[in-house]
Amino acid sequence: MNAYFHMIKRWDAIIIIALVLLSFLPLAIFSYQQTKVDQTNANLVAVITVDNEEIERITLTGNTESHTFDITASDGDTNTIEIKNNQIRIKAATCPDQVCVRTGFIAKAGETIVCLPHKLVIEIQTESGETDDIIISS
Amino acid sequence: MAMTKNQRLVYIALLASQAVIISLIERAIPFPFAIAPGAKLGLANIITCMALYTLSTKDAAKVVAIRIVLSTLLGGTISSFMYSASGAILSFIGMWAVKKLGPNRVSLIGVSTAGAILHNVGQLMIASWIAQTWTVLLYLPVLSFIGILSGIAIGIFANYLLNHVEKLHYYRDLRELKRNI
Repeated sequence: MNAYFHMIKRWDAIIIIALVLLSFLPLAIFSYQQTKVDQTNANLVAVITVDNEEIERITLTGNTESHTFDITASDGDTNTIEIKNNQIRIKAATCPDQVCVRTGFIAKAGETIVCLPHKLVIEIQTESGETDDIIISS
Repeated sequence: MAMTKNQRLVYIALLASQAVIISLIERAIPFPFAIAPGAKLGLANIITCMALYTLSTKDAAKVVAIRIVLSTLLGGTISSFMYSASGAILSFIGMWAVKKLGPNRVSLIGVSTAGAILHNVGQLMIASWIAQTWTVLLYLPVLSFIGILSGIAIGIFANYLLNHVEKLHYYRDLRELKRNI
């Protein structure tokens, strides 16, 4: 076993650390963007798109009742979506890989569920509350 | 004595077919990481490592290309092809670049880990392009973590193979020799 530890050279560590830091880059950019959105009265909204067309927009904040519904494309691809306790998930899908189902519930801003075979994306966005519409005029 | 043309062709074909079989077997293994959907062990990376260390860059690229096309034809879909092709191209370029640092600086562990992480990067880039939202990339840290673990394991494994399988050993020495002349 010791021989394997000796196998690791200095540049191995440098490269691995650099790549790990790089993989956090999108997260850093995203959270930087999020700080600009006022979090206190922001609503979380789940946006469901199929083939880049927005199908549904569901407010998650304060959405405590649970309900499920199906989204069926014209070619019969079906995703069953469940909303429960401010969270959203794909409960069942007719796609071959089932990655979207295994992703489970998402609830935080920026989290996504992607069902690539059906080109269905659920993305959670923040929508700042009513403050958006106020126009200050002098 | 260098490899003859036929020897080289047979060797490329052998590596490519092994890689196809490995990725088919890997597809049959039930998903091992429940926390990270979409993560894979990346066992076929072993073959890419061995190809990089025993063949010229051009021939190693051929091995990777053959593997992707064949494993897609044997039970893949268009989206899985785009996924694995983008991942493989990016990881191959990355592994080649890392290996260029020279054997005194990097070992197979660094090469295979870079390959594993960049494979994820390539896949998620295609995913975010298809989904038209770059927030998919926020998933990268989870995949990178698993990529490091499997990359280290596969680096050790490939190193073991290169040192202990007689022909591989011989081909690698041959390649080093050719470069030094």
